[in-house]
Amino acid sequence: MTKRAFIFILVCVGVAALASAQTRRRPRTSRPATQTQAPRGSAAKYSAFLHSSDKHKSLACNECHKVPTKWAAKRDFPDVADFPDHDACVRCHRQQFFTRQSMIGTGPAICTVCHVRAAPREDMRFAFGKPNNSAQQAKAKDERQFTIEFPHDQHQNVIARWRGVQSVRLESHHGLKSLKADDKKSDYNNCSICHQTDMSLAIVALAAPNTDPAMLHPYKSMPRSHDSCFNCHWKSQKPVAGDCAGCHAPAATFIPELGRKRISAKFAHEGGKGEHIAECTTCHINITRASTTRGLTPDVPINTCAACHRDSKKTTYPKAVTIETELDQFKKTGECTYCHAADVGKKRPPPSHDAAVQ
Amino acid sequence: MRMVYRFRQDVFVRTFFIFSFSLFPFAFSLIGHTQTPPTFGVVRLKVRYKSSEGTKDLPRKRFFLIKGSIDQNRALIEKIKQTSLASLECYYRSQGASEALIKWLKDNDCESVYCREMEDKYLSGAEAVPEFQKAFEQALNELKNREVARRWLTNYLAPEIRSGFYDEKQKTIQALLSGTEATTKAKVMSIMTDRKGTGYLTNIEPGTYTISNVVASETDKTSIVWICEREVKATDLGTAMKRPMMLSNEADPKVKCEVIERPLAACN
Repeated sequence: MTKRAFIFILVCVGVAALASAQTRRRPRTSRPATQTQAPRGSAAKYSAFLHSSDKHKSLACNECHKVPTKWAAKRDFPDVADFPDHDACVRCHRQQFFTRQSMIGTGPAICTVCHVRAAPREDMRFAFGKPNNSAQQAKAKDERQFTIEFPHDQHQNVIARWRGVQSVRLESHHGLKSLKADDKKSDYNNCSICHQTDMSLAIVALAAPNTDPAMLHPYKSMPRSHDSCFNCHWKSQKPVAGDCAGCHAPAATFIPELGRKRISAKFAHEGGKGEHIAECTTCHINITRASTTRGLTPDVPINTCAACHRDSKKTTYPKAVTIETELDQFKKTGECTYCHAADVGKKRPPPSHDAAVQ
Repeated sequence: MRMVYRFRQDVFVRTFFIFSFSLFPFAFSLIGHTQTPPTFGVVRLKVRYKSSEGTKDLPRKRFFLIKGSIDQNRALIEKIKQTSLASLECYYRSQGASEALIKWLKDNDCESVYCREMEDKYLSGAEAVPEFQKAFEQALNELKNREVARRWLTNYLAPEIRSGFYDEKQKTIQALLSGTEATTKAKVMSIMTDRKGTGYLTNIEPGTYTISNVVASETDKTSIVWICEREVKATDLGTAMKRPMMLSNEADPKVKCEVIERPLAACN
C-alpha cells in the first residue's frame, strides 16, 4: 500500500513537472515591420510612385519637391506640405498622362499618385505628410519609402537640465501650446521638447475606481512632423530643411507599425499617485547610450521600479503598491493586475521580479 | 511470499528509475524559472564633487567607457591630461556674446542655445537677450508668424553663438577618442549622468575598463577631469544599483582614479 502511494506521488510529481513545462514562458517572437512591395505590372505600374526606381533615384530631391511649398492653408509652419507640381511628373511621364491608351477606363492611373480620382478636372489631392490640418483625404495605406535617421544621443547632449519650473506643454495636433500658469509642475531634463503626454492615446479599459485622469493618458508622444526638426534645422544648423537625405534614408516600401507593444500596460508616466516625478533617465537607464532610434525600445528594468515599489520603501512611499504585494497576489489569484493587463499579468512573473525585491 | 515481495520490489525500483529518467528533460523547464547567472557587467556611476558650497551631484555630463586599464590607455590619458578647453563663459566672451546671453546659458547649465525653449520674456523686457531679439526680428520678417518665429529663432543666430562652445567640445572629444576603438578593439560606450549624477553602463563584457569624462566638466569654480579604472565583473543590475562606483574630486582609496581639477581661468 505504501509503495503504491509512493508511485502515486511520483506520478503526481511527473504531472506537475509536465504542467510546469507547459506554462513556461515561450520566447516572444518579434513580428517584423510589415513590408509591402509596391504593386507591379503594367496596369498598376503608374498608380504607385516609387522613389527607388532608377530614374527617380537619379534625381535630386529638390528637382521635384520644393522646400517650402505653399503651406499656410495646411500647416502653421513652413513645410513641404504638398505633392510636387504637375511639371515634375509631366516632364517625363507625358505618355502616361495624355495618350489615348492612358484615358481608357477610369483615366490616367498616374493621376492617382497624388489625386483622389483620375479625372481631368479633379483638383482634390491626398494629404501630404503630417500634420493633416486641413483634413484632406488620406491614402488608404500609410506607406513609407524612407526611414528616419536620428542620432538620439547627440540630441540628448545639447538639451540641458531644467532647474526651475517649466510649463507643461501639450501636443495639439502638431503645435505645442503652453498651459495656464496654474497648470505648472516640476520638470527636469527637457526630453519633453520631443516627448509630451500623448493625449490621443488612452487606456479606456480601466475600471471606475482607477479612473485617475493621469492613467487615461499613459503614453508619451513622438515627434510626428517636420516642425519638431525645423525649429532647429530649418536653416543654418545642418542638416537643413532642403537636405532631405540628412535625415531620410531610402527603404523598401513599408507600412510603419504605429501600435506600441507595452509590457506594463497600466503604467502611466503621469501616474504614481502624483509621485512619478523622477527624471526620464532615472528609469530609461539606457536611453543616453542610444546613438540611433533604429531598434530603440523604451526599456525600463524592473529594478528601477523596485527603487520605490518594494516593501522596504514603504516608509518613504506609503502609497506605493509593492512588487511583493503583486507577487503574493499572483500566488492567490494567478494574475498580476497593478501594472499588467491580463495578457502579461496571467503569465508567471519572471525571475527578475523576485530578484529585484530581494 | 518472499519471492513475490522481491519481485514487487524490483518492479518498484525499475519503475522509479524509468520514471526518473523520463522526467530528466523537464528538469530544464524548472531551471528555466530560476535566475540565470549574468554574463555581462553593469556599472552604476555616481559622480559628485565637493566645492566651497558643499558636496553636489554632477548632472548631465557624458562619461565614456574605454576598454583596458589606465596603464593600457596611458597614451590616451596623457593626451586627455594635456587638453584644456576654454570655459563656457570665456568662449562666449571671446565671441562677443552679451552678458544677458552668458547669464541665460549659465542659469540652466546650457552648453548651447538648443537646451531651452525661447520664452517671450527673453525677447523683450528686463531679461531680454540682445542676440535673441535680433534673431527674432529676422525670423519674423522671413516667416511672418510670431509664434513660429519664436520657436524657430535659433535658425537665425550665428553659428558661434548657436552652438560654438558645444561644437568645439565635441570636436575635441572626437579627436581624443579617434583611433581608440581600433587600439582597444572594443567599442567606446558613453552615457550621460542624470540630475543626481547617476548613470548606468550596462551590457559590458567583463574585464578592466577606463571610465572618463575625457574633457573637463565645469563645476562652480573649477573644471574636473576624471580618469578612473574599474574591474567589471559579470553582475546583475540589482547588485550594481546597491554598489555604485563613486567618482568624486575627493581622495577615495576604494576607487582607482586620477582626478585633474583646475580652477576656472579668468577670461581675458
